[in-house]
Formats: sequence, C-alpha cells, structure tokens
Amino acid sequence: MGPRMSELSQYAILFGLSVGVFGFVLSLYGLARAIGRARAEPGKDVPATAGTLSRDPVWVRYHARYAGYALLFLAFDMEMAFMYPWAVVYREEGLIALLDMGVFLAILFLGLLYGWSQGALRRQ
Amino acid sequence: MSILVVLLSLAAGAYALAVIERWAVHGHLSLTGPAWAALALMGRESLLARKSDRLFFELGPVLLLVAGLMAVAVIPLAPELIITDLATGALFLNAALAYVLVALIMAGWGPNGAYAMIAGWRFLGQFIAYAMLIVMPITAVAMRAESLSTVEIVASQAQLWNVLYQPMGFVLFVVAAMGLAWLPPLDLPDATGELAGGVEAEYTGVRLAVLRLARMVIILALAGATVTFYLGGWLGPWLPAWAWSAIKILVVAAAMLSVGRYMPRIREARYLALSWKLGISLALANIFVVGVIALVVPI
Repeated sequence: MGPRMSELSQYAILFGLSVGVFGFVLSLYGLARAIGRARAEPGKDVPATAGTLSRDPVWVRYHARYAGYALLFLAFDMEMAFMYPWAVVYREEGLIALLDMGVFLAILFLGLLYGWSQGALRRQ
Repeated sequence: MSILVVLLSLAAGAYALAVIERWAVHGHLSLTGPAWAALALMGRESLLARKSDRLFFELGPVLLLVAGLMAVAVIPLAPELIITDLATGALFLNAALAYVLVALIMAGWGPNGAYAMIAGWRFLGQFIAYAMLIVMPITAVAMRAESLSTVEIVASQAQLWNVLYQPMGFVLFVVAAMGLAWLPPLDLPDATGELAGGVEAEYTGVRLAVLRLARMVIILALAGATVTFYLGGWLGPWLPAWAWSAIKILVVAAAMLSVGRYMPRIREARYLALSWKLGISLALANIFVVGVIALVVPI
C-alpha cells in the first residue's frame, strides 16, 4: 500500500466495502431464490415459541435488570473518550500524565466503590 | 491490490474457522463439511416470521457482516498487507465492533419472537459486562505504542510481545472478546438448549447463512485484534510475515472456540458482577502498572 494514504481515500475505501457487503448479500439472496422459493403454508411463519402467536407483544416479557450497571457504564464510557488521546501522548508527557490521570481514575474508582456499596452492582 | 488479498484471506480464514469450529465444538474434522452445510442452507426455505419488523429483521445480519468487515479492515496481516492503516485504527476497531450490539438487538427484535427478543436484550446486558474490558486493555496497549495505528502497535512489540509486557490486559481482553463474539461459555444471546438458538431462532435458509458468516468474520476480527495487540502480529522468525499472522490468528480463534467445551454457560448476573467487581478493578490496575513500566523501562 506504500506510504499512508490520505485519510479521505481510506474512509472512501471503507464506505465502498460497506456498500459492497450489501451487494454481496443481495447476490447471495438472488442465488438462493434461483434455487427455490419458500412455499406459503399456514402456520409456518409463527415464531418458535409454543406453536401459537403470543397474545401480547413479546417485548413486554423482558425486564432489563442490569440498570444499575448501565448507569455506571455511562460514566466509565465517557471516561474512555478522554483516555485514548491521553494514552497516545502518555510517554511524551511522562510523570505529569500519570498523576493527572491517576487522580481522575482514582475518583472514578471511588465512584465505582460507592455504587457497589449502595447496591448498584446487583441484578435488580 | 492488498485489499483483494486481505478479502480473499478473510474468505479462506472464515472457511478454515468453520472447519475448526466443527472440530472444536462437535469433535469431528471434515474439510468439506462447511461447504455442504452452506449449500444446504442456501437451498432451504428462508421464512419471514409473522408480524415481524421487516427492516430490522433483514438489516440485522447484514449490519453484523459490515461491522465484522470494518473491524477486519484495520487488522494488519503484514506491514503492507492491511486494508486501511488508519491513524486511529484501535479506536476505529472499537467503533466498528460497537455495531455488533446494534445488529444483534435488531436481529432479536425483528422477528417478534419471544426467544429472539429475550436473547437480544440479554446481549445488551452482556455488552455492559464486556464493553469496558475491551476498551480499557486497548488503552494500555496504546500507551506503550504511543499510537492508535494498528501497524505501529505491532511494531512497538518488536522487543517484547505485549502478552508478556501486560499479561493482565491480555487475559481481560481475550475474555471480553469472547463475550463480544458470544462464544460459549459467554453465549447468552444464542444459548443453544435454553433459548432454542436465541437470536438465530427465527432465521432460516440463506439469511441464517449470512448470520453465521458474519459471526465467523467477527470471531476472526477479534482473534486478529488479540494477535495485533498482544501476540506481536506478523512478528516472528523464519516464516514470512503473513504466515505468522495466519497461524497466530487461527490458533487464537481455535482456542477461543474450544473453551466452551470445558466450561458451563455463565449466567448474565454472574458475568456482570464478575466483570464490574473484578474485571474493571484489574483493568484499572493494569493501566496503572503499564503506566509505571512505560515510564521506567524504555521499550
């Protein structure tokens, strides 16, 4: 590939590949269709539950019991947005960078411990 | 040119992985088995469930394949053999793999079936467990390499592979990668024998073939990421660079596939608790330890 291509052409390649995936999948579907089609028969399209359609919409059955984790996850995920640029210049900046991020991570870790003590790390 | 080579090796890798999966999971080795299975899936009826959300149902597997391919695009097989050597490669890998979650929830929601729906939401819980343990170990890798480019990350391991430099990060990353690829024992979203295939329950025929292919690509991408970040990528004596990449990626993928044979499935609550209480603490400690080493030792 030689020297690093310009950023724009790299993203153009990635975009082209994504579009290409759609083309690839469509051609597979076309091929399958040429082999044979689904026969329309009653009852065949009922989801695999117990042979009948459920009375209520199926999404009412699931309760997200990991809400406590999810809130902590938001805080940690934001933190990672700061970590990546910091990681790249870390060795250049040296001890200052370690202390800066050390304080930040310590506060965040205390937050995790506090959440833990309050029962956030439990399946509700 | 290198794009074509990478895509062809991806196809060959996916096939080899399908052979290895049969061998690792079901115990019989057959070189032609996956080809016949794929052909059989093509010929089988592909049904659309009643009252399904057609857009999500159709897009799920395709988006999964796109996510896998985007992740593969930043994994170097040799110094020049990479689709796009982005300056932000390691970050881009995370961004691409985030769509695995979106695709699986779409695939679970789409057919309006109870098993698939439960499986899709379960994967969201699994995501909250593994997500931080993917990004935090990568941070420590980037600290050593002083770059997010995957090529430079491999080059930074010339003296010592990261698996020895930061073994804790390696273990955390591999376990999280298995959660991301929903490999047993962390296979909550397809939980064979418990959710009747979960997300895969309502997919039949050629759509199922695409879903399975996408999953193979994602496993390869994650094995590739493990090799790139921790096992020195293409580095190695005697053999050419691409051969080392291929050998390492297939060995890592085979190892990840066979763990499930020896361990029972882990419940979602337990996985969440383990990841957040033990995993995050270890990942933060890993960043700190690597930070101290990186300042003291010049390699």
